[in-house]
Amino acid sequence: MASRFWTQGDSESEEEESEIEEEENEVEAGDRDGGDTAARSKYLSKTASDSDESDDQRRVVRSAKDKRFEEMSLTVDQIKNAMKINDWVSLQESFDKLNKQLEKVIRVTESVQVPRLYIKALVMLEEFLAQALANKEAKKKMSSSNAKAQNTMKQKLKKNNKLYEVDIERYRASPVSEDDVDKSDEDDDEDEDSEVDVEEDPAKLAASYNTESDEDEDEEEGQDEEGGWEKKKSKRDKLMDKQFMRDPSEITWEMVDKKLKEIIAARGRKGTGRVEQVEQLTYLTRVAKTPAQKLEVLVNVVSAQFDVNPSLSTHMPIPVWKKCVQNILVMLDILAQYPNIVIDDSVEPDENETQKGADHEGTIRVWGNILAFLERIDNELFKSLQCIDPHTKEYVERLQDEPLFMALAQNVQDYVERMQDMKAAAKVALKRVELIYYKPQEVYEAMRKLAEMQTMTDAAAFEADLNGGENGDMEDDYDSKAANVEPKPSEDFRGPPAFIVTPEIVPRRPTFPEHSRTLMDILVSLIYKHGDERTKARAMLCDIYHFALLDDFSVARDLLLMSHLQDGVQHMDISTQILFNRAMAQLGLCAFRASLISEAHGCLSELYAGGRVKELLAQGVSQSRYHEKTPEQEKLERRRQMPYHMHINLELLEAVHLICAMLLEVPNMAANGHDVRRKVISKPFRRILEINEKQTFTGPPENVRDHVMAATRALSKGDWEKAYKVIESLDAWKLLRERDNVLDMLKLKIREEALRTYLFTYSSCYGSLSLDQLTTMFELSESQVHSMVSKMMIAEELHASWDQPTRCIVTHNVEPTRLQALAVQFAEKLSVLIDSNERAFDARTGGGLDGPLATRRRDTQDYAGAASGRWQNDFSNAQGRQGGFSARPNYTGARNAGGQARTGASGATFPKDRFGQGGRAGAAYSSGYQSTRYQDAYSSVGRTPYQTGSASSAGVRSTQPDGAARMVSLTRSGRF
Amino acid sequence: MAQYDLTSKIAPQLDRHLVFPLLEFLQEKQLYPDDQILKSKIELLSKTNMVDYAMDIHKSLYRTEEVPQEMTDRRVEVVARLKSLEEMAAPLIFFLQNPSLVQELRSDKQYNLQMLNDRHQIGPDQIEALYQYAKFQFECGNYSGAADYLYQYRALCTNSDRSLSALWGKLAAEILMQNWDVALEELNRLKEIIDSKNFASPLNQLQSRTWLMHWSLFIFFNHENGRNGIIDLFFQERYLNAIQTNGHHLLRYVATAVIVNKRRRNMIKELVKVIQQEQYAYKDPITEFMECLYINYDFEGAQKKLIECEEVILNDPFLGKQVQEGNFVTVPLRDEFMENARLFIFETYCRIHQCIDIRMLADKLNMSYEEAERWIVNLVKNAKLDAKIDSTSGTVVMGTNHTSMYEQIIENTKQLSMRTYVLANNVASAAVPTAQAASSMRV
Repeated sequence: MASRFWTQGDSESEEEESEIEEEENEVEAGDRDGGDTAARSKYLSKTASDSDESDDQRRVVRSAKDKRFEEMSLTVDQIKNAMKINDWVSLQESFDKLNKQLEKVIRVTESVQVPRLYIKALVMLEEFLAQALANKEAKKKMSSSNAKAQNTMKQKLKKNNKLYEVDIERYRASPVSEDDVDKSDEDDDEDEDSEVDVEEDPAKLAASYNTESDEDEDEEEGQDEEGGWEKKKSKRDKLMDKQFMRDPSEITWEMVDKKLKEIIAARGRKGTGRVEQVEQLTYLTRVAKTPAQKLEVLVNVVSAQFDVNPSLSTHMPIPVWKKCVQNILVMLDILAQYPNIVIDDSVEPDENETQKGADHEGTIRVWGNILAFLERIDNELFKSLQCIDPHTKEYVERLQDEPLFMALAQNVQDYVERMQDMKAAAKVALKRVELIYYKPQEVYEAMRKLAEMQTMTDAAAFEADLNGGENGDMEDDYDSKAANVEPKPSEDFRGPPAFIVTPEIVPRRPTFPEHSRTLMDILVSLIYKHGDERTKARAMLCDIYHFALLDDFSVARDLLLMSHLQDGVQHMDISTQILFNRAMAQLGLCAFRASLISEAHGCLSELYAGGRVKELLAQGVSQSRYHEKTPEQEKLERRRQMPYHMHINLELLEAVHLICAMLLEVPNMAANGHDVRRKVISKPFRRILEINEKQTFTGPPENVRDHVMAATRALSKGDWEKAYKVIESLDAWKLLRERDNVLDMLKLKIREEALRTYLFTYSSCYGSLSLDQLTTMFELSESQVHSMVSKMMIAEELHASWDQPTRCIVTHNVEPTRLQALAVQFAEKLSVLIDSNERAFDARTGGGLDGPLATRRRDTQDYAGAASGRWQNDFSNAQGRQGGFSARPNYTGARNAGGQARTGASGATFPKDRFGQGGRAGAAYSSGYQSTRYQDAYSSVGRTPYQTGSASSAGVRSTQPDGAARMVSLTRSGRF
Repeated sequence: MAQYDLTSKIAPQLDRHLVFPLLEFLQEKQLYPDDQILKSKIELLSKTNMVDYAMDIHKSLYRTEEVPQEMTDRRVEVVARLKSLEEMAAPLIFFLQNPSLVQELRSDKQYNLQMLNDRHQIGPDQIEALYQYAKFQFECGNYSGAADYLYQYRALCTNSDRSLSALWGKLAAEILMQNWDVALEELNRLKEIIDSKNFASPLNQLQSRTWLMHWSLFIFFNHENGRNGIIDLFFQERYLNAIQTNGHHLLRYVATAVIVNKRRRNMIKELVKVIQQEQYAYKDPITEFMECLYINYDFEGAQKKLIECEEVILNDPFLGKQVQEGNFVTVPLRDEFMENARLFIFETYCRIHQCIDIRMLADKLNMSYEEAERWIVNLVKNAKLDAKIDSTSGTVVMGTNHTSMYEQIIENTKQLSMRTYVLANNVASAAVPTAQAASSMRV
């Protein structure tokens, strides 16, 4: 199979090229037609999979592609005109233009093949030049500028034509137009990958090889030895390399070295076939004379394989990827077999370093960087998963390559650990962590099983898998091919037996511990010990994510708080920020499952604040109405996307977020019903609710929002049964593990919040309420009701007290009347006015406020702390508001700082004790970072059940305002 | 009750020698089999130089007169080493034991070193030997000697790390000698160093803090002012953080100290917060009691926990300290704890009730009806409780303490005019000098 691929790869035939062209153009066409990005991305993803486009689109395609060619032929016409009048200056201009257009055309077609038109023009120019040079007389007559232009043209042409020598030669041999050929195969709609495996017409193959050998001959003219060898080599398909087959020992180290250098030198040059290069190098691996040389060649093979796919946005063909992995594994084999060989990219090794044989004493250095290869491999795997349509079988098959990558990473890690390069080991470990952190135990289990199964399947399965690209036994087989221990007769890939036989030393199979947690622990602790800052941060986030996935909320939260990641995350790269967001989302879900509603809301609310969840989690692109993105931005964004299998279900996330908001917000709204400046817990929720309330008719709920809104309406009336039913009918619950437990929890929470809402709303209408009545109304146990009501009394949310002998709640009816409320507001505004006056005076006189006034001010503050009930609440609110918007962030900032500081974890286990200052001072530093969303996401997360002021848990008795910043003290007593 | 025993958690944070008192206590309480404790004692001793003691224990454990060879060997070795160290440190010790010579020392360290070197040929080697000797003495169980030597060593030593270890040693020695006042001083000194010193790593610092807190338990629960001290120390931001990261079990002591200390009621809120946050990591009846009372308002639960608390206190080496009073043996802390806890329950209960049946209350507080009534009367009399007893129905009726809206507004606006007045005055007085200055300029 490999050879088939290679054959195809290095063929000069026009079919492949034309197909690629087509696809590319179709993409363009889609873009042009639809104009909307959705369509475009659809096509983009299709390029990799299938393409049964309709015919009319192909029409457009043609024209789009032709446009480039038209431009080109126009230029050629200009050149012809210039030739007629012997105008070298404009000729030179046109030539430059032509070259530029050529680049464009090549970019469009994405091929290495130069259009025939161009070659034709080159031939024409060359002939004309020769003619002009021959005509000495005409030359004398030319103006100086014209002569000069002619001279430059001569040189340019000479240089330029060298690149296309082959093509020109071929053109000269058969000047028949091949343009038709270009178009003849357009029905062939195979995609790139499958096409690779398509068996081709043998005649064409032969032809392509002939042309290739011609090319080689041209290149190697004058070098008898090399040329001959090269020729043989290229014809190996029909009859493999007679000379070497007969007597492989004739090949010397120098020959291999020379050839290697030659191939490397050709790299990146125009007209060098990338695939072809890989093939040549692969061949060299088999004739390499020393292990070190083999290693060196392999390094180059791998680099060349990476070159096969030139574009950043598309992924490397999967078969190439697999071969690449195999090559690296062979490299590791060599390194393991000969411990004296060292691969490293810091020093340039000696010229003849690799000549040293296997029995050489001392270290042999080979240039290369295994870690970089691994990272690239990982990158390509990621990219391919991004590009492949997740609903196809192909995607699943691609996912099955993960164990292969794991094996590779494991081996590389072993190697770098052996080399004592712990930094690199940490990086490799991170790659492995990033592959498993998002997998719940079941998925992990599945992967483990798959890996085990692959180990067991025997070579028989291989044949079946040959085309499918199953990673399983391909490895072994390919390996035997690479080392060529026993070349299979069935294959057309018949090389000489390799000089250096590399036995399989490193395991080809990943080993997985029973639990993903165990594996994570091992890797993560290695990273914490040796990794650099970024590696550690990422590992920490993965760790948090994984803990949250395993329902270990408190551990995950502690890790987040102790690591202080939220402090610096906005300075990190975007992909780490995305990881942070993902971890936060997961943490939120975890808190929800653990029935920690306000924590869950804290985690999620920031993600939903801007309505850009998709973007923040890199799970799709959301269109913004307000600013258009440039194509570059879009491209970048697309490159960041998470592959489908890593997605966090957005519907579930939204449901969780809104339900949390509902549970917090409904009682809150009921509590502060006729207070104008009520505290808002969740802005997005309020907005949605407002929109919903504006509707004249409300239909039955359809999406998540509608459901939650319907539940909200029911809940605010105290109808918990209906609210629960609506919530329960959401589809997203199917995605939860332990669905029943979560729903039970939800039921309980809804009842509790319904009780609170009921009390808030109707307590003023009752003189007394009996406990029994409440228990039956909300189906809660007596102790639950008692506990909840007591909490509300202590927090002074409910102005009532128990009458113990009769078991009922007696309300005190201290709710202010409208007039009283206004009076309170008025008084409060007055004091604010005085405050600002004093502050203004302070600012003017430079703080020279003398004794009595200053102390009085402090008094008021104390008073604010000691005052009780609603008044206090209003007062603090006013403070916050009065400070304008700048004060607001401070408000939350202080809150946040408080929570953080208290809960502390003073960077103890994480070696950064930024916390030393204590949390009080936090007000200042946290105000700054409130603006960034990533930061925000955290800000409310903390261990803040108290500070968030969720009515249920607000403090019993506020601590006195102490020497802290004013904002802090005020907010702390905010909910008295 | 062994499940609530914290010895295994505390011991790793203590010095070897400090564990002995804990083991003694356990032995007395018989929470564990005697053999087990004795064995662990021997194990503990094997790393120290208290060989004779180890031999005694060995004898009582196996009930033999035989002593294993290695112990006797070790004894010889210890004695030899003691000799050699003594010799090395002899000149300095001689110097220090001579009061007239000690008079020559001044507060200037450099001067002292110079002087010792010049006049008495005592160099850094001898000073180092003094440290080693003191350490050896400590390990042999001669705490008072060790404490003296370490004190003097500190006066002469220039190496700050060594000085720190010397301080730790001194603290341990003072604790073991039960000199609580001195120990408290040393503790504060050590704390200052830990907080001020730039430790190599925060981890190191954290570890030191954890140690310090564990060691301080000895002092705080024995020193007369310890109950304030423990709150002051443990509630400091950094120490609270250390508790939360490294020593969750210390919450028991913090909670106890807060409950027992009447004047530090304001700490309760903070404590409850911490307890709630850490409840996944640490739980014992005392913290659960707080949780029941201040988070769930579950009074029956609190009542149940209170009974368990008593057991825990009695079996805790720090809390369950016994005091001989005449013929009684009492645990003062337990009594205080129970009294205060009861008060807490009652207080919270009163806050959310307007009418309480005394009989029920008596039930809850484990008192008889009359006792309960007397107790309440006392509370009312001491103005701790705004309530009246309705004796016909046998209930307590709480006074309402809601300030009316009018009062609130009056309260809030009362000082507004005063403030305005002062402000106006200030503005005026600030304006006068400038006006004067302006006019004088003109003149």
